[in-house]
Amino acid sequence: MSASFSAKNQVAIVGYAQSPIVKHDTRSLGVVTLETARSAIHDAGLEVDMVDGFVTGSLFPSAGSHSAEDGVSLVSANWLAQGLGINPRYAAGFQGFGQIPGAVALAVNAIASGAANYVVMHRALHNPKGSYHGNVMREAGGGQQWTAPQGYFGPISMIALPYNEYLQRYGASREAMATVLVEARKNGARIPWSYWHDQPLTREEYLSAPMISDPICRYDCDIPVDGAAVFLFTSADRARDLPHPPVYVSGYATGSPTTHRLPLHWPLDDIMGVGAETARRLWSSSGIGPNDIDLPQLYDGFSPFVYFWLEALGLCPVGEAHRFVEGGGIDSDRPDGLPVLSGGGALGNGRMHGIPQMLECYLQLSRRAGDRQREQASIGLACHSSPHFGGAVIYSADR
Amino acid sequence: MTVAARLTPIPDERSAPYWNAASEHILTVAQCSVCSALTHPPGTVCPHCGSTDPGFTFVPVSGRGVVKSWTLVRQSFLPGFEVPFLLVDVEIVEQSDLRLIGRLLYAAEETLHIGRAVRVVFEDIAPGFAVPAFALEDES
Repeated sequence: MSASFSAKNQVAIVGYAQSPIVKHDTRSLGVVTLETARSAIHDAGLEVDMVDGFVTGSLFPSAGSHSAEDGVSLVSANWLAQGLGINPRYAAGFQGFGQIPGAVALAVNAIASGAANYVVMHRALHNPKGSYHGNVMREAGGGQQWTAPQGYFGPISMIALPYNEYLQRYGASREAMATVLVEARKNGARIPWSYWHDQPLTREEYLSAPMISDPICRYDCDIPVDGAAVFLFTSADRARDLPHPPVYVSGYATGSPTTHRLPLHWPLDDIMGVGAETARRLWSSSGIGPNDIDLPQLYDGFSPFVYFWLEALGLCPVGEAHRFVEGGGIDSDRPDGLPVLSGGGALGNGRMHGIPQMLECYLQLSRRAGDRQREQASIGLACHSSPHFGGAVIYSADR
Repeated sequence: MTVAARLTPIPDERSAPYWNAASEHILTVAQCSVCSALTHPPGTVCPHCGSTDPGFTFVPVSGRGVVKSWTLVRQSFLPGFEVPFLLVDVEIVEQSDLRLIGRLLYAAEETLHIGRAVRVVFEDIAPGFAVPAFALEDES
């Protein structure tokens, strides 16, 4: 039993902004993030000089031959603070996978402890020119000497192994996953800022797409983009005086497996075993259970994560996610469907790393979703990354 | 179009004995001198007993194992690989959960299933360098 979360509903999101999500922005990622941060601060009804905290998870997740440069291919908390001309009381970066729940946790902890009053949380993602994951290395040292000479390299083979394990173990088909892609792109097509705006995907298009690393095809992977999103956090007390309805953080959990593995080796049993503990921590710390969630926004940077999260969170039995999906269980237009991709996810928006999930929770719970506003939206959950390396945050519209 | 040369490992102080043995087509795995458990790849701490002075030595293993999963790679993100090729995630028989990932040679995907028996083989990729891969064991 985890200790209950004493900061439950004490910290709120009070505003946001998101840049255009495009294949390649003509402006640098730093400039895009800086302008988005100014918009978000304004959206929250604050002034730039009121912000005294900055958090992010800044990882540039490419395996390719690209340099990682602050302000260009990634944006750190300190870079953004300096760009805004602020010497913050608190600046921190989350160094694990699951950058979004990790960074939200930093924001909540900073405010709940009094380390900062108004925190900018951002995520900036860059799509470099050339192949995203292609690498021209001639030699492999360090951890990669154990995998790259054998041809095991990069995140697509990484996810192909546990996905195939899932297909083999539970007799699932690629046809079932077509339902996930059609749902993600249906919702993404409705979102004006999505890379895939007005571009739904058919089952036939999905099933005829070129395979990259079987059973992963092109559409099982989110498309790399340039984009940045910024959220403003403050205490529930301060949030009362701000223009938008606050959305409270009711709990969070992240995981980190203890099993020693080869680089990028994610066996299905690791994902689900550690993921069960991530979910247990989430429910026990927040006092909220899977049946209480109106809006379980699941991470889908690779499509199999939708299955893994559905099962890890107990939204369907282990081994049943593919049947649950095929039976219409995640159709967000059905009254009895779970709206797990109503915000389009990463597959329906572009590689924004857990931002679509968080943004959908914020927009729906603050009643700012416009013509996409859902009636039943009081408690949301936003996942990021894998159940064993990532995490999830629970949001509430009411304290 | 000729395929570029295969990329080679950069042996370091810890891994050199492993790559030396591999060049002679002998598969070895690091063994902790404190608890005797096998670890792949070896780091600075034994993940089994927690020793910070594990004194890993590379001991030969049978190279026999079973397939836990596989993928058919059709787009390689590294130079030097002709596509498509199969990668298998293999549990080595000597110890539960001792896992290696390597190419499966001389076999088609249709021949695979979870639990399929395989054995190590080596690919000579450059003078002095061989990397472990796998081949199907005869199933009777």
